[in-house]
Amino acid sequence: MVDTMAAIGPDELGSKRVEGSIARQILGTAWRSTGFRIGFTVFVLLLLASAIVPEISPYEATKMNMKARFLPPLFLGEKWEWGHPLGTDQLGRDMLLRCLVGLRYSLFIGVTTVALMFIVGCGLGLLSGFKGRWWDMAIMRLTDAQLSIPMIILAITILGVSKPTVPTIILVLGLSGWPLYARVARSAAVAERGKEYVRGLRVVGAGDWRILLLFAAPNILPPIAFVAVLDIARIMIFEAILGFLGLGIQPPTPSFGTIISDARKYLINAWWIATSPGVFLAVALTSINLMGAALEKARNKIYGGA
Amino acid sequence: MRERSSCKGKWQMISRRTLMQGTLAGAGAFGIGRLNPDFLFSSACAQEAKTLRFLAAEALTGNWDPTTHTNLGQLIAEGFMFGYLTRAPMRPENPTELIFELATSLESIDDYTLEAKLRPGVKFHDGTPFTAADVKATYEYGCQPDRPAQWYPGQVKVEVIDDLTCHIKTGDFGYPAALYYYLSSFLPIMSAKDVANKAALSAKPNGTGPFRFVQQKGDSTFMEANPDFYLGKSPIPAVEYRYVGDTTTRTLALLNGEADIIERLEQEQVDTIEKDDRFEINRAVSVENKYLFFRCSKPPFDDVRIRQAACHAIDRSVILDVLGVSGTYSKAHISPVKFGYTEVDNYPEFDPEKCQALLAEAGFPKGEGLPELTYYVSVGFYPKTKEYGEVITAMLQEQGFPVNLQVLELAAWGNLLYDKPGGGEGNMIDCGWCTGSPEPDLVLRTHFHSSSKRICGIVDPEIDAVLDKERNAGTVNERQDILQKETLPMIAQKAPALALFTSVFIHAYRKELEGMYIYPNGMMDANKATLG
Amino acid sequence: MYFLEFLLKRIAQGFVIIFLTSLLIFTLLRVVPGDPVRLIVGGMAPDNVVEEVATKMGLRDPIIVQYGRYMWGLLHGDLGQSYLRPKSGMIATGGEYVDPSRADMASVGELILERVPLTLQLAGVSLVFACLIAFPIGIAGGLRPNGWPGVLAFATQSLFVSIPNFWLAIILILLLSVQLGWLPALGYRGFAYVILPAIVLAVEIAPFLIRTLTVSLGEIMQSHFIDEARVRGLPKRRIVYGHALRNAAVPLANLLGIQLSSLIGGVLVVEYIFDYPGLGHLTVNSVVGRDFPTIQGIAITTSAVFVFVNIIVDLISYSIDPRVEL
Repeated sequence: MVDTMAAIGPDELGSKRVEGSIARQILGTAWRSTGFRIGFTVFVLLLLASAIVPEISPYEATKMNMKARFLPPLFLGEKWEWGHPLGTDQLGRDMLLRCLVGLRYSLFIGVTTVALMFIVGCGLGLLSGFKGRWWDMAIMRLTDAQLSIPMIILAITILGVSKPTVPTIILVLGLSGWPLYARVARSAAVAERGKEYVRGLRVVGAGDWRILLLFAAPNILPPIAFVAVLDIARIMIFEAILGFLGLGIQPPTPSFGTIISDARKYLINAWWIATSPGVFLAVALTSINLMGAALEKARNKIYGGA
Repeated sequence: MRERSSCKGKWQMISRRTLMQGTLAGAGAFGIGRLNPDFLFSSACAQEAKTLRFLAAEALTGNWDPTTHTNLGQLIAEGFMFGYLTRAPMRPENPTELIFELATSLESIDDYTLEAKLRPGVKFHDGTPFTAADVKATYEYGCQPDRPAQWYPGQVKVEVIDDLTCHIKTGDFGYPAALYYYLSSFLPIMSAKDVANKAALSAKPNGTGPFRFVQQKGDSTFMEANPDFYLGKSPIPAVEYRYVGDTTTRTLALLNGEADIIERLEQEQVDTIEKDDRFEINRAVSVENKYLFFRCSKPPFDDVRIRQAACHAIDRSVILDVLGVSGTYSKAHISPVKFGYTEVDNYPEFDPEKCQALLAEAGFPKGEGLPELTYYVSVGFYPKTKEYGEVITAMLQEQGFPVNLQVLELAAWGNLLYDKPGGGEGNMIDCGWCTGSPEPDLVLRTHFHSSSKRICGIVDPEIDAVLDKERNAGTVNERQDILQKETLPMIAQKAPALALFTSVFIHAYRKELEGMYIYPNGMMDANKATLG
Repeated sequence: MYFLEFLLKRIAQGFVIIFLTSLLIFTLLRVVPGDPVRLIVGGMAPDNVVEEVATKMGLRDPIIVQYGRYMWGLLHGDLGQSYLRPKSGMIATGGEYVDPSRADMASVGELILERVPLTLQLAGVSLVFACLIAFPIGIAGGLRPNGWPGVLAFATQSLFVSIPNFWLAIILILLLSVQLGWLPALGYRGFAYVILPAIVLAVEIAPFLIRTLTVSLGEIMQSHFIDEARVRGLPKRRIVYGHALRNAAVPLANLLGIQLSSLIGGVLVVEYIFDYPGLGHLTVNSVVGRDFPTIQGIAITTSAVFVFVNIIVDLISYSIDPRVEL
């Protein structure tokens, strides 16, 4: 996914200004593709399920029931029950609920982290590109340095030595993922800086900040935001990996990575415990990736001079 | 931490008869039906075919000085390489039997003197002959109060009578020498030369055991048969002790033929392996109890009522359900295979009403007002810790304890396990204690006496008094009586820790492995084993 | 001349980046809670021993002094010594009291060097696998973006990118190693042990290759020089392999440079699951064991590799297509 960000070249962004809202055009184009619609439908269904089902279910995702351990999913084996369509885990907790609650956290962390990455990265990038000189120098070298440390090493290092909680996970992932956004935003800002209207505004006496926030940012940011959708999927996988390594959200809160990691030892006897969260995660990610890819294509099409 | 070492218990012999039956039954399926997956790497395996490959659940410490650790993995490795005055096979039919190894007899001369006669003609791996001077060096070094392992009940003096006779004396320190009778099967004998040179002692193991150290390569420790072993060279030419932290990985390695014997299995793996007639399972009630330790030196668990309330909130039968084969019921702070075990009458049982009453009495009705309580458990080594950690957390939360469960990797957990000035980390921590001897003081004194208070940090004169009284008892019967009627009930009442259950150690091995002894603390005797 | 100047400038920049990275990591590991000395001597060591060792090792000096000392060592190629691993190679699980007098600790540089070949082997094999998957699918998809090959390429890519690597890994171990017994899975005793982890990694890398191939081939096939070639009557096969692929090579090389950091992430998890004794395995174990010097060494090494691989990628791009701006 890294390449999707890198693919947004400096000249593409902002060099061709299309009248009307670019954002709306991109969305419209994307919406016309089948991939986007499939992805969107699946995503909305998952979202609704994870929002509603745990609230109306008679069970709880963290409630244990020693008498109902290792129940298989519907129609498999002999012990299945209607109440537990995806079966139960090693402590008799309902797998469907655990997956849906896991999905909540996964999505929440994915979206919030990308938002954080976006704000920090684009903020620094705009600053760097707009201010130039030593601002630019300092921010870009910091970006290079951080870009050169693989995000996962940074993340597991910090989480490995401090307590992993939801806010720290978001903070750590967000702070280690911003550099690519900074680069892209900077390129766009540099291009924007040279534009007629900016010079015009300067002549009128508008300050840097005013120009940046009121005029340049609304032009630069939306296209980047669309591509950021793909990053949500990447962060969700990351969160799962952290959980898998034992550095994610701590129990009893269910999370995909933790469920799969814990279920590893039951794989041979109770394969569904590790399988269903894997399938859930893969379906959610596919839906996000379908939407992201369609948005990206649409963006390229519009900037590519369609 | 996980201490284990010699202990009483039954040693399990893999019987030749069951072995033969299994081999015959499985021969057809195994020989013909299985595709050989080794075609790409068979040459590497062929060379090592006769090495006994043991996958252990615990890594070694990197320091071969036996007095510096309480690591079961290392005790197992020491079992291969070191010699002991005696070994305690702890067979169920004769649990107190001692087999004489480096000693040929242990006689009590008076209350404070134990005479050991030593075996002639034994040599250390470096060629030095074994004499009474080595026993003196080992005992006097190991009993120093600054030795971290703290296996000794107190300081001791050893008087060398001649090369093969010595007197273990405790008179200067005021406790009976008889305590060393069972301990003799637990303390590995080091060479006097090494004890004088600490660097050599920690760098390389030098014992009198059936295998000698060859090299350390990554997580593997390689040992080869000692040709000068006093019982003759072992038929197994070499042993590889390899640390594989993950239970599933160990199981898969056994199933794939990449290991000969593996330890610390859980219910699910046992189910899988039992279905496969290429393997055997060995179960042994261990000397290890698993404990929920309270940090007693700081609030809120400095209040005995809060500790009791927490104990009454926990339904141990549910934990046993979760554990399956890996645990068995016990009702005292020591394992049933220890000297003096009895089901203690006033042991705290699941009782929500009592729990609520105690909480209210302590000023926290329904847990209101209690601070957030951090509960640490480790993953990877002990079976099902994370699972029952979640169960215990839920049970405590149900009674109003605001518990926050933290699951830690072994290394991180180990670093905050012990008590320190101001109280150990968090408020509760999960740990097992598997001292390798029938001697109960290896658990009780280590944890609950104010001179040691390893993990819980409790300082309580009443507990100290009953512990001292039990240690100083004149006869074995008197000691057992005090243990059962005073010491254990007192500890149960003060509840500095809750013993959750007794571990069952499970080993799985290839059927071809024959004649191997597994002690209830996980140590092994591969001296007479063969690997077909 | 321009070329040389560029090279020198990039290398100089590279060193600045590595310097900043090391500063970043060093500071991070020092401000994080937890006393490294406690790790060195173990949980049971008395407090006076902790202080003694700390003072002897200079761990009570100001951070900036420690950093200076570390960088001085780094300039001499010394990455320091592991806290956990003695020269003999075994690791402690913590908690025990470890005599400060214990045998010499392993040098971090050596620890890393002895594992690099294994990780390179894994990375190489998985790249080969990834190319085997990606080239047929990607080229077909690029040539016929609107036909079924295009759909196939898009579907494979969306699916592969959505499968969590650790999940795929355990499913493959269960199927191919345990149930079918076709491939060994855990540890490393020979080449066969590389195959399964490499497949998992290949599935992770392939989507990016497919994507780059389809996009760049698609673009190039529409550009003028391909039309020209067609007009000149060159056979389709030659057009594709002679021109289009050569041009797709530049974004591909760039991609590999950028993907390197995700690849490292994948290697880490995959090595951990397969118990494959490479750099990723060392990283995870060092993190859970809080072996700070080793973590530091690995981070600095990977960032150096990252920086210089990207310089090399730029050079390759330049040699393939000199129009590429340096």
